[in-house]
Amino acid sequence: MLEAKFAEASLFKRIIDGFKDCVQLVNFQCKEDGIIAQAVDDSRVLLVSLEIGIEAFQEYRCDHPVTLGIDLNSLSKILRCGNNSDTLTLIADDTPDQIILLFEDTSRERIAEYSLKLMEIDADFLKIEELQYDTTLMMPSNEFSKIVRDLSQLTDSLNIVVTKDTIKFAAEGEMGSGSVILKPFVNMDKPNESIKLEMDQAVDLTFGAKYLLDVVKGSSLSDRVGIRLSSEAPALFQFDLSSGFLQFFLAPKFNEEE
Amino acid sequence: MGIKGLNAIVMENAPLAIRKSDIKSFFGRKVAIDASMSLYQFLIAVRQNDGTQLLNDNGETTSHLMGIFYRTLRMIDNGIKPVYVFDGKPPVLKKFELDKRSERRKETELKLAEATDLNEKIKQERRLVKVTKQHNDEAKHLLKLMGIPYVEAPSEAEAQCAELAKAGKVYAAASEDMDTLCYRTPYLLRHLTFSEAKKEPIQELDTEKILQSLDLSIEQFIDLGILLGCDYIESIKGIGPVTALKLIKEHGSLDSIVKYIQENNNNNSSSSSGNSNEGKCKWKIPDNWQYNEARQLFLEPEVIPAKDINLKWLPPDEEGLIKYLCGEKLFNEDRVKNGIQRLRKGLKNGTQVRLDGFFKVVPKTKEELEKANQRAKAQLKKNKITKKRR
Repeated sequence: MLEAKFAEASLFKRIIDGFKDCVQLVNFQCKEDGIIAQAVDDSRVLLVSLEIGIEAFQEYRCDHPVTLGIDLNSLSKILRCGNNSDTLTLIADDTPDQIILLFEDTSRERIAEYSLKLMEIDADFLKIEELQYDTTLMMPSNEFSKIVRDLSQLTDSLNIVVTKDTIKFAAEGEMGSGSVILKPFVNMDKPNESIKLEMDQAVDLTFGAKYLLDVVKGSSLSDRVGIRLSSEAPALFQFDLSSGFLQFFLAPKFNEEE
Repeated sequence: MGIKGLNAIVMENAPLAIRKSDIKSFFGRKVAIDASMSLYQFLIAVRQNDGTQLLNDNGETTSHLMGIFYRTLRMIDNGIKPVYVFDGKPPVLKKFELDKRSERRKETELKLAEATDLNEKIKQERRLVKVTKQHNDEAKHLLKLMGIPYVEAPSEAEAQCAELAKAGKVYAAASEDMDTLCYRTPYLLRHLTFSEAKKEPIQELDTEKILQSLDLSIEQFIDLGILLGCDYIESIKGIGPVTALKLIKEHGSLDSIVKYIQENNNNNSSSSSGNSNEGKCKWKIPDNWQYNEARQLFLEPEVIPAKDINLKWLPPDEEGLIKYLCGEKLFNEDRVKNGIQRLRKGLKNGTQVRLDGFFKVVPKTKEELEKANQRAKAQLKKNKITKKRR
């Protein structure tokens, strides 16, 4: 029996909205210690990995591990039916063919119940190993989101160059080019706006803009985004939850060797 | 032309190894395309509304050039980098199949001469379509102007495509022919060169998954192909897909199957007392059946080693393209210019790396695989039934 209660339905909605545009069918694995999910987009370039720890829930109980195969399009339709301040409880039995979503508005004594049919999803599960990164960057997620959106207008590839004390985002397209340069700094009053950079080795990487546009949808989950880059491995973009995270692993693009 | 019934076997027994997806999902990939087959396809399919070939004012066929130009552009637009591979000399063994084909052509020519109905004429004429040396040369010329690389295979184009894919020079081989799988290309893409209007999703076949699902080694899979009837040698009459798979599973290899059939034949003829000894000998091995040689052609085809091939996508030769396509072949100039723009834009995009190289797939246990396969099969059945009901 799974019973997972969010204090605010909006949290789960934001989590799902954070990655529903790049993957559609996802297996949610509910275990004793929380819910994890993993999915790769059709082109196998972007990997989404979600972990919701117990502390992110108001109440959580899962006596028996279950896998919930869910079509995110359908799920997000149902999630739109709840009010943001409602509590949301996910309920499934041990061999579920459906999941119940219960929205409760305690102040108004309003209860809405929806059920969603589950699917058998045959998906490969990738083993995510701890990778070595050359550079780790922490920055405000809305800032990152704006940069990606702005530069994507110019072209379909985005270049990220990190040197000792600068981070440069650049795009070059038919109509023109653009770049945004950031330097690490500490904002004492608003620590969330600080930019922190740890660099072992300079990196110069190019990513498909359409994938980055998918990544920045996670911004609504967290004020901060952690970006880890390596010239030898996929980049990792991470949005932290109060317990758990939403991670995007994105494979870079390489320019043709001349 | 491919292996009869192999498609059905794969669909039936390894549905999970086939993934259907939109052309967009191949963004950033390099693909080796069986050019000879594509040209044939274009000559058949790229036609006017009344079904006749596209001709320019000089009466020359342009279907193949139209096909190469626009279908390549479609790939470029979707971030795919194609390399075309042309057939070389057919293997000696293939002569048998080629002879059969030219015989069929003669028959068709007769039919065409007799045909009075226009539709019938077009139908027969389509059957007569043949990719000539001129078609090939023109296609190569066009590709060169477009900056798209091509490879001239010493022998079979499919084998060369597979070689490129095996070595990682390209992601997959693209052909409609299922026998490309026998050359062990990691992936086979089908329907890649179809027209956009067909709205046909691209089929991606995963050779390893197919072998795994069928529980066959590559050698056994090749034997299965030969048994079903490949381009190289005659098939054994009376063995269909189901029997072929069963025989391979039971006997393990063609050698044992041949032995088994021969032994049963002998037994029968010696002990034939006119009794209807339920004939296991209903099959007959064709005379001088060179299955070993055929198998060898799949296992070690004549190809240029991938390391000796350097693929380069170059900027299009604008002047040359306009002169050739608009001047000689009378294409619409605006469209060609627009195409050149698209080629330029496509070239600038780097190559997208896949995640698969970095993260290992947690292998499925055999039970999981079986369960998944069964589910997929059940789904297939369900679909069939609902289709019938409609």
